Amino acid sequence: MDSGKYANDPEWASITPIPLDDGSESGAMPLATIAYPSDYLEATSYLRAVMAANEMSERALKLTKDVISMNPAHYTVWIYRAKILFALDKDLFEELEWLNGVSLKYLKNYQIWSVSQAPPPSPHGFKCTLPHPPPKELDFLMEMLAEDSKNYHVWTYRHWLVRHFALWDTPREVEDINSLIKLDVRNNSAWNHRYMLKFGPRQDAPDAGMANAGNAAFSTGETGVLPVIDEDLVDDAYHQGAGESESVVVCAGVFRAAGRDLREWEEFAGKFVVSPDEVKSSHAIEWLADVYSQDGEKGARAVEMLTLLGEKYDPIRKNYWDYRIQQIAV
Amino acid sequence: MPTVAGKRRKVRFPLAHLKTAPLATQHQQQQQRHKPKRPGKPSTGESLSGKMASPARRIPALFTQPPPIRDPLVTETIDLQDATMNKCLPFLKGVADSQPGPFNACGVPALQRDDHIAYLYDSLEDYPAGFVAMDASRPWMVYWALAGLTLLGESVSRVNQRVMTSLRPMQNRTGGFGGGHGQTSHLASSYAAILSLAMVGTPDAFALVDRQAMWRWLGRLKQADGGFRVCEGGEEDVRGAYCATVIISLLDLPLALPPDSAAREAGFENLTDGLAEYLSRCQSFEGGISGSPGVEAHGAYAFCALACLAILGPPEQTIARHMNLPLLLSWLSARQYAPEGGFSGRTNKLVDGCYSHWVGGCWPLLQSALDGKPQADKPPTTVGSLFSREGLARYILSCCQHPVGGLRDKPGKHADSYHTCYVLTGLSATQHVHYRTDSSPCSHKNFAAAFSWQFTPTNPEEDVFEKYDRLTAFHPLFVVPHDAARKMRLWFEGEPFANDQGEFDPGFAP
Repeated sequence: MDSGKYANDPEWASITPIPLDDGSESGAMPLATIAYPSDYLEATSYLRAVMAANEMSERALKLTKDVISMNPAHYTVWIYRAKILFALDKDLFEELEWLNGVSLKYLKNYQIWSVSQAPPPSPHGFKCTLPHPPPKELDFLMEMLAEDSKNYHVWTYRHWLVRHFALWDTPREVEDINSLIKLDVRNNSAWNHRYMLKFGPRQDAPDAGMANAGNAAFSTGETGVLPVIDEDLVDDAYHQGAGESESVVVCAGVFRAAGRDLREWEEFAGKFVVSPDEVKSSHAIEWLADVYSQDGEKGARAVEMLTLLGEKYDPIRKNYWDYRIQQIAV
Repeated sequence: MPTVAGKRRKVRFPLAHLKTAPLATQHQQQQQRHKPKRPGKPSTGESLSGKMASPARRIPALFTQPPPIRDPLVTETIDLQDATMNKCLPFLKGVADSQPGPFNACGVPALQRDDHIAYLYDSLEDYPAGFVAMDASRPWMVYWALAGLTLLGESVSRVNQRVMTSLRPMQNRTGGFGGGHGQTSHLASSYAAILSLAMVGTPDAFALVDRQAMWRWLGRLKQADGGFRVCEGGEEDVRGAYCATVIISLLDLPLALPPDSAAREAGFENLTDGLAEYLSRCQSFEGGISGSPGVEAHGAYAFCALACLAILGPPEQTIARHMNLPLLLSWLSARQYAPEGGFSGRTNKLVDGCYSHWVGGCWPLLQSALDGKPQADKPPTTVGSLFSREGLARYILSCCQHPVGGLRDKPGKHADSYHTCYVLTGLSATQHVHYRTDSSPCSHKNFAAAFSWQFTPTNPEEDVFEKYDRLTAFHPLFVVPHDAARKMRLWFEGEPFANDQGEFDPGFAP
């Protein structure tokens, strides 16, 4: 069964491997079994043995690299490897270089990420003890995002990096995000990141997706209320405004979440809704509906906008628009 | 996934053993009647009932035409969106070559029930060496197949022993289940294992779980900010919160943190303390919910967070109190696209069949939050369905069925167990109305609200699918049959829980 790579190696002579128990000894056939390659079967049987002994050694470190090369989706081996790195006080920047190479390789290989809902390799866990951001980390992240500009794991990590190393206002961070938005103004992951750079809680305040969220002193209706607005965004929105509906979405989202009075933007949104027959953005109609529904006297106009959405411009969401109309009636 | 080198392995079971044999047989006869000449195709204008009708009349233009507003600025997002729409349109119109039919009077193809059943049984057998990346996901493979088969009306009792045999070596003495023998315990694999055992539903399956060790392990995963790590040394996210709450409520674990839990130093006494506040910090400025605070809103995490809140307490309290509801509704509603009819997971991303569950599964929970406290054991006065059930059913049945069985993300993609399970779960959810009642079978108040859900089938006159295509109803929080969740909870309620000192926990006296 074994290929003998470890069994024939004197360095591993002291270890008694723990063979795979798939339950078949009970007599019933286990489910969703895999005809493992013999190298993998042997390496993982040694992995079980060193893990059971909680061995923190160079040979164990080598073994983890071997298993990762055969199956980077094996989350256990990543966690064990991180533990050994600390125990042996290894150079973490050196580890990073190797790690980023592996990440790029497997990011391109989408199979790794598509083992859906399986824990993705979480090799970044150990980075939280680094004294400063790894020098080439931002280049590495831009390379990853060039491959897949909306990769959720990459953005999650980038958000963590910003908070951990206080990168909110660093020119590089702002430039990177703006360049990604310029490349594709509909990259919502980049917009979310930008929102967090501008408005996210800083320093020791607990992290949150919008201002005041999770703070018991505020009602849920007050979450997102901000004292400032994104002036750059305002400029961008005007410049890109002609024929560009994405800026409407983002502005509306930011302003609404920021607790700003959407009436400030009535004129801007109105540019996209010339008449019931000439509409450039369904989001702008929604914005106008939000504007009008805040104003008791303009309820009828809000209903008009919501009806337009339900019947003409976004009918797949008719039930929701009808619900909004009912809310106005209430 | 179980397609190997283009060839399906034959792992099929005779129809006579199917619980749904009469329906399936009828269904098959229809298929045989219609398949040779494919007269069910809307292009020929003939429907199951034999009536002639033009495709345009049977399929609303909403599902056959591009959206009315086209943005002139083209970016990568628009290119991908257009490509997806163009790939879906022939399927929505019912004119794609690979669609087997038959089509009903609404122009919707039938559910290929037998093919999906065969696909899922097949998915439980042996995989070739190339599937080694699945080595940490085997509990999921078991769960996805059992859930999918159950939805399709299959009794999974024939694999009961095999489920237990598979999961037993994955349980660690230090608590929880890993992805395989010798793998670190993980909340995702533990969730999949516990739900699989719930579907087995026998006392020996329940007794397989080491509850005391599970409780102590959960105490080690609990974090000072209220959330849960997915495993020791792993990341903290909303999946962890949901999986932990499912496990605590189904196994009827004590709420109290184990004495040695580090989270006690943060001032917490219970496993659930601070959890709802943690989840509220995961709502993003868009209104949706992210995997961890500050990240982009995402459909799968939205379901985890809302289901977790709905387990913690009645949705009209927990969801309404911890989420900005108008923003959440607006974001969730924007996930449904036309003409596709399916859901996307994030703003400006593409539709994917799996969000039929992740996004579709949020709707009953939000609806319950809006409907308020249930008054009696009957459907409440309700805001009604706030999404298009028709759109979702059309997307699933027209676009997500793989021609050789199994369900998929979208046309052009392979089927896999994950999509087969969650597309079917979404189809079931859109075929039923789920609501809460004021009664619960639980003997004490912990998570009682989570066990108070009921369902009724949707009105057949409004359905776009045929009655024999209706699936088994699943519990909107536990994602197993209602009975399976209730049975597991009640069994554990009857089992004494000895704490660290071997003492009986007084909080759990009957």
